[in-house]
Amino acid sequence: MNEKIRIAGVFKSFKSRRNEESVAVEDINLTVQTNEFVTLVGRSGCGKTTLLNMMAGLLRPTDGSILIDDQPVDGPGPDRGMVFQHSALFPWLTTAGNIEFGPKNQGVPKAKRREIAQELIELVRLKGFENKYPRELSGGMQQRVAIARALATDPEILLMDEPFGALDELTRSEMQSELLRIWQARTKTVIFVTHSISEAIFLSDRVIILSPHPGRIRKEVVIDLPRPRQLASQEFLQYYEEIQSAIF
Amino acid sequence: MRFSNLTPTGIASRLIDLLIGIVTLVAIGALWEYLVQNGHLNPYFFPPPTEIADELEKITTVGFPRGVTIFSHIQATVLRILKGYAMAAVLGIPIGLFVGSRQFLDRAVMPVVTFARSVATISLLPLMVAWFGVGELSRVLLVFYGCFWVIMTNSAFAVKTIHPQYIQAAETLGASKTQIFFQVMLPASLPRIFSGMKVALGLAFLYIVAVELINAEEGLGSLIWEARTFYRSDTMMVGLFMLSIFGFALAQGLDLLEKVLLPWAESLEEIER
Amino acid sequence: MRAETFGRDLWIGWLGVITVLVGWQVIDMLGIFDAATVPGPIDVIDLALERGPLDDLRTHAYASLRRVIIGFTMGAIPAILLGIATGWYRWLGKILWSPIELLRPIPPLAWIPFALIWFGLGENSKIFIILLTAFFPVITNTYKGMISIDPQLIRAAQTMGLKGLRLLWRVAIPAALPDIAVGMRIGLSLSFGALMAAEILAAEEGLGAMIWRARDTGGGVGIIVYGIILIGALNLTIDYLFNQYVLKRQLRWHFSEDAN
Repeated sequence: MNEKIRIAGVFKSFKSRRNEESVAVEDINLTVQTNEFVTLVGRSGCGKTTLLNMMAGLLRPTDGSILIDDQPVDGPGPDRGMVFQHSALFPWLTTAGNIEFGPKNQGVPKAKRREIAQELIELVRLKGFENKYPRELSGGMQQRVAIARALATDPEILLMDEPFGALDELTRSEMQSELLRIWQARTKTVIFVTHSISEAIFLSDRVIILSPHPGRIRKEVVIDLPRPRQLASQEFLQYYEEIQSAIF
Repeated sequence: MRFSNLTPTGIASRLIDLLIGIVTLVAIGALWEYLVQNGHLNPYFFPPPTEIADELEKITTVGFPRGVTIFSHIQATVLRILKGYAMAAVLGIPIGLFVGSRQFLDRAVMPVVTFARSVATISLLPLMVAWFGVGELSRVLLVFYGCFWVIMTNSAFAVKTIHPQYIQAAETLGASKTQIFFQVMLPASLPRIFSGMKVALGLAFLYIVAVELINAEEGLGSLIWEARTFYRSDTMMVGLFMLSIFGFALAQGLDLLEKVLLPWAESLEEIER
Repeated sequence: MRAETFGRDLWIGWLGVITVLVGWQVIDMLGIFDAATVPGPIDVIDLALERGPLDDLRTHAYASLRRVIIGFTMGAIPAILLGIATGWYRWLGKILWSPIELLRPIPPLAWIPFALIWFGLGENSKIFIILLTAFFPVITNTYKGMISIDPQLIRAAQTMGLKGLRLLWRVAIPAALPDIAVGMRIGLSLSFGALMAAEILAAEEGLGAMIWRARDTGGGVGIIVYGIILIGALNLTIDYLFNQYVLKRQLRWHFSEDAN
């Protein structure tokens, strides 16, 4: 296993319109191994989404570096797929259309695109919904499409920004298991952002806890349990307490 | 005023509403007729339905003024609307999209646009006539002016209000700037652009009628004005009736077009609630 | 516009306006168009200073404003009342919708010939047209406002013991007010346009009449341009005032900028 992502000394500040500087994150040092599942947890304002956006290339660090495969990040790209909290599916495209969007813009020929889309649709268990528009799908289904869409460009890294945050509790737990299943079928390096501690423990190899104002890494906890993990097991609860006390 | 469901009970209740509507109209018509017959209402002031129906038949066959059937009138009006409106759309949409996507331009242009819009379009008619005479050109230009600003501002607004996450998603999927413009920004702007075009068409209709009333020989507006000079209030009513049907058909047609062209969009009104 | 960017937006806005004015003046000076038919901004301003304080302008403006205000009020008030009634008592809505829907698509101006028959050439015919113009947008928006009241608000009020007319007055109508206000704003702005056309067609006094007859009274195109700009300014001012005092002030719980 080698280092997939290396974040060193990253500092990010924003200038508000009143010319005030506000620091989003500072002194971030993090290494992620290939195919590792890492979750960033923390309260609102701890900079986890900012950090994720910097990895995606949607924002640039004010200082410090983010290297992927030893190359500095230079803008967003199909090598880092992203899933947003509110799916951000293109409403004017069907499920298949959305999934094929990435490959289409990369010049992949029609037949191959169809194939890729079909495979992914089956992977996320949405067979039969190829021609539905997003408005016809439920929240959970939309997120499945969002995941399939991000996977369509075969990225090595998957960035997920509270993807299940807008779903109801039941759908959310279902999606968590689905995500693990998908991940085990198409292994990628995953960076997952959430503010649910149990979600973090359930899913990840490692949990990074950030504290707010300014955002800094407070603690790292390695989850050394086989999957699938039992929510009520003692080990789970121990991790929960450990992480919770680090957050508060 | 109708929000329909397509459930069986939904259809039944819509039919009932329609029935009530028709009954009401018939009742009003009957009352009107009765009042005129009994001398309570002056038929010159309030031409009754029977006279209107009569006149409608005459206009379709013989025409008013002689030789100009209702179809020529409708055709004249429609053509004028089309010319002005089409020009406004062809220019307004691209310009609006362009201005909307560049913040500096948008801020610089908006005050001028706001003023241009607030100029009562009809008040431009004397100016158009002074410059271009009393012919078709000034009429079409007037409609063009009125529609252009509405379409342009709606297009600009459409671009400005695109949810940034659509763009971000496209970027993380590897799309280039051009690809993003054509494959994301354009489709995302369509619902609002279309809504602007609906409003503009309604306005075009208003302006055209106004212009025709003022000075034209053919067209629904001029039909009404001509009828007035001959003291034919029944003909005037026919004109009004045709305008109502025409306006209604226009609105329904556009709604239908929207469902066909943009099946994926929730109507903006639903979103804005 | 946020307070912080207001200053910057303001000067960019002025930049735009000044560019247009300068461009206009340049075109005028280049003499591409005959100065009598296409006056430049400076000519128009000259004319304005000359004619501005003149009595007849004031008479015209007063005549127009008076018609708009009276007509609008006479159209908006019944529209609001009917809109509330049809929205609250659905059966009433069902009965009245067909005549209203039949009349609505008709451009108000098309009624002018009838208005002349019914009211003659006097003030009332123009006021009638304004009345019609204001009526439909206001009733439509009022009705929409009434039927889209959040049912939870009504239920909440009912659990507090409100019902019938009290429920209507204290909960439903306030909830529908933003839509009613929007309808009024639209009606007001449309009324202006309708007024202009009505005056062109059938009046001796009023801003619309003034610019139409300018061709004969020897003022030339300058008067027309001046009149147009004046009408535009008036329209903007009225709309701005309505926006500030009704929407932003009285109804700031809905329309304030932070709420957006």
